[in-house]
Amino acid sequence: MNGSDESLEMLERRALLKRVAWMLGGAVSAPAALAILQGCSAKEPVPGAAIASKFFKGRQADVVTAIADVLIPRTDTSGALDAGVPAFIDAVMADVYPKDAQERFSAGIDEFETAAGSGGTAFLEQDTAQRAATVQQAIDAAFTGEHKDKPFILVARELTLLGFYTSRVGVTENMEYVAVPTVYHGCVPLSQMKKHVYWE
Amino acid sequence: MEQNSFDAIVVGSGMSGGWAAKELTEKGLKTLVLERGRMVRHPDYPTATKDPWELPYGNRITQETRHRKPVQSRTGYPTPANQHWFVDDLDNPYVEEQPFDWLRGYHVGGRSLMWARQSYRFGPLDFEANAKEGVAIPWPVTYDEIAPWYDKAEIFAGISGSVEGLYQLPDGKFLPPHDLNCVEVDFKKRLDEKLGRKLIIGRCANLTAPLTHNESPQRGTCQARNMCIRGCPFGGYFSSVSATLPSAERTGNMTLKPNQIVYELIYDNDKGKATGVRVLDSETGKQTDYFAKIVFLCASALGSAYIMLNSTSSRFPNGFGNDSGELGHNIMDHNKPGNSNASVEGYLEVAYTGRRPNGFYIPRYRNVGKDKRGYLRGFGYQGRAARSNYNRFNDTPLMGAELKKAALEPGPWTVGMTAFGEILPYHENYARLDRDKKDKHGLPLLVVNAVVRENERKMEEDMKNDAAEMLEAAGYKNVTVKSDAYHVGNSIHESGTARMGNDPKKSVLNKFNQVHACKNVFVTDGSFMPSFGCQNPSLTYMAFTARAADHAVNELKKGNL
Repeated sequence: MNGSDESLEMLERRALLKRVAWMLGGAVSAPAALAILQGCSAKEPVPGAAIASKFFKGRQADVVTAIADVLIPRTDTSGALDAGVPAFIDAVMADVYPKDAQERFSAGIDEFETAAGSGGTAFLEQDTAQRAATVQQAIDAAFTGEHKDKPFILVARELTLLGFYTSRVGVTENMEYVAVPTVYHGCVPLSQMKKHVYWE
Repeated sequence: MEQNSFDAIVVGSGMSGGWAAKELTEKGLKTLVLERGRMVRHPDYPTATKDPWELPYGNRITQETRHRKPVQSRTGYPTPANQHWFVDDLDNPYVEEQPFDWLRGYHVGGRSLMWARQSYRFGPLDFEANAKEGVAIPWPVTYDEIAPWYDKAEIFAGISGSVEGLYQLPDGKFLPPHDLNCVEVDFKKRLDEKLGRKLIIGRCANLTAPLTHNESPQRGTCQARNMCIRGCPFGGYFSSVSATLPSAERTGNMTLKPNQIVYELIYDNDKGKATGVRVLDSETGKQTDYFAKIVFLCASALGSAYIMLNSTSSRFPNGFGNDSGELGHNIMDHNKPGNSNASVEGYLEVAYTGRRPNGFYIPRYRNVGKDKRGYLRGFGYQGRAARSNYNRFNDTPLMGAELKKAALEPGPWTVGMTAFGEILPYHENYARLDRDKKDKHGLPLLVVNAVVRENERKMEEDMKNDAAEMLEAAGYKNVTVKSDAYHVGNSIHESGTARMGNDPKKSVLNKFNQVHACKNVFVTDGSFMPSFGCQNPSLTYMAFTARAADHAVNELKKGNL
């Protein structure tokens, strides 16, 4: 988008804001107004470092936190821990997954930790590079042979991806997220987009 | 009694009820609208403006929802963003003699809030099919008779689409069409060249431009958010909450009462008329009778059939207006036995911006013109092309900084599409009441028994094979045709339970949606359909409801009701 498009977009947003205010009888709060102008909500994400576990027991939270950290590390942009992914996985496991899948995941964490430490250094004692190698090995192994159920590490990665790319930082730092696009364009060169991935 | 008396009663506030309310009140009738669910007011939709990170669980369906709403959860709909629109199945039970997916929204607006907004006319091909093929009973209405009412419905609701000149899918009064995206344009061209089949942009009830009338000042244009199912605070798509009910309210003639379960029509044997309805307040359990000169049943095909089956009298021992024995029978839906996908090479330097609340449509081509198949009727496809998202990494060993970098680019293009096939009306597909089984209000349970049969199964072969043929003819890769166990109801188009016809011995309603045996009762939801086409039906319900309301008011004025 070039500059004039952006100001056009801003104008449209202002027009939109007027209409919303009118529809709600003039009662649009300042934060809500700001949210519409910015094209996103003013609400802050839930931080994920220290989590009150609904699902994880003992060291499981630490193991999943370590796995999420190497699956989507902080680089020059936010990573899984910045997005609160461990707390997300805890909540999803507790409230979305059925009992049998919960039990498999719980056992999967414990088995992963045991297997990862069998070479000498316990998984949680490994440095980041070692942990990354351990997780990558587990993923590569999951892609070989037949598995009755989806291997633990792939469930962990699936949920890390889901948690991260639906989080505030995951969405806004990696995608063009426009809450109120106003119009659909069916064929746009990536070179004309602010970010190449448009959130949908 | 006086305060409970109105000129008209409308049962249901969804797609059809909203239209009945608007038309009757605008023609001056004091109208009571009874809705069994809770109140919803435009623009109060609780999740409408939530950002993705404000929705818990990555918007996945929770175990609690699956527990309370097991039938609703047979679809992907009741996510944290949407689940409040879908009924609690434990509180609203029914009996499935055969698996039947009954997706319901008990609130003001009904399923007009959650619908997919696809809006197609039925054409002469559809209205003539039963008569030409000797199936069930002939339609009592021709395309030419209903066409002006389609015009009216499209203009008021605001339907976007492209003019195509197709006999099997008549054009309408359209707002500008949405764009097809780059790959859909490619697919369209290849289908036309290789197979001579049409691909068009979907026709949908989203305002791609301002309405061409001034009757809905509360509505703005579509903002390309594609969160319609949550309710649109902009009024960007048609629902009864955003469009017809506000019109009815402005007349000053509407009384809208939520939480009112209509369970019976009151019939006066001496007058030979219905005098009103019996109602249970869903919150207090209080019973009330309401009275009116005319009653419009717009409670959905199964909801209206339920009320009629439950309204027995010496005149109607087998259900209201059921002299034909067809009440509750002939349930139809659209057969949806799977979907097809392919990956598309190239087009990597282009994508799209905005979120289009619409997809492409491949109109019916089977048994059209010279095409003749070993089954009756046909099917259409709805689909879209899109760039794949981060989920693609689940199929790769990628992780870490590498994955993050890859995720900054959109994934390859994919095309997906789903066929919707016509289901014929069969007397053997029915709903009835089980008076021995009761819900928490003490009302008998509805029993449903409907399956697809030989004609649908034969058609399924083409639905699957043609999808693969088209995707392969377009040169796309990794073509997969996925079969799903389809249960009647899953397309959320259940219909046919009080069909219209000219012969009172074979139909429940006449050509103006009036009960043959009791002319002051009209049924204008999907109940009235004698056949079902393969098009999404809501626009047809709007048109027939407006026409029935016009007829009702004219007949009232003439003293005929």
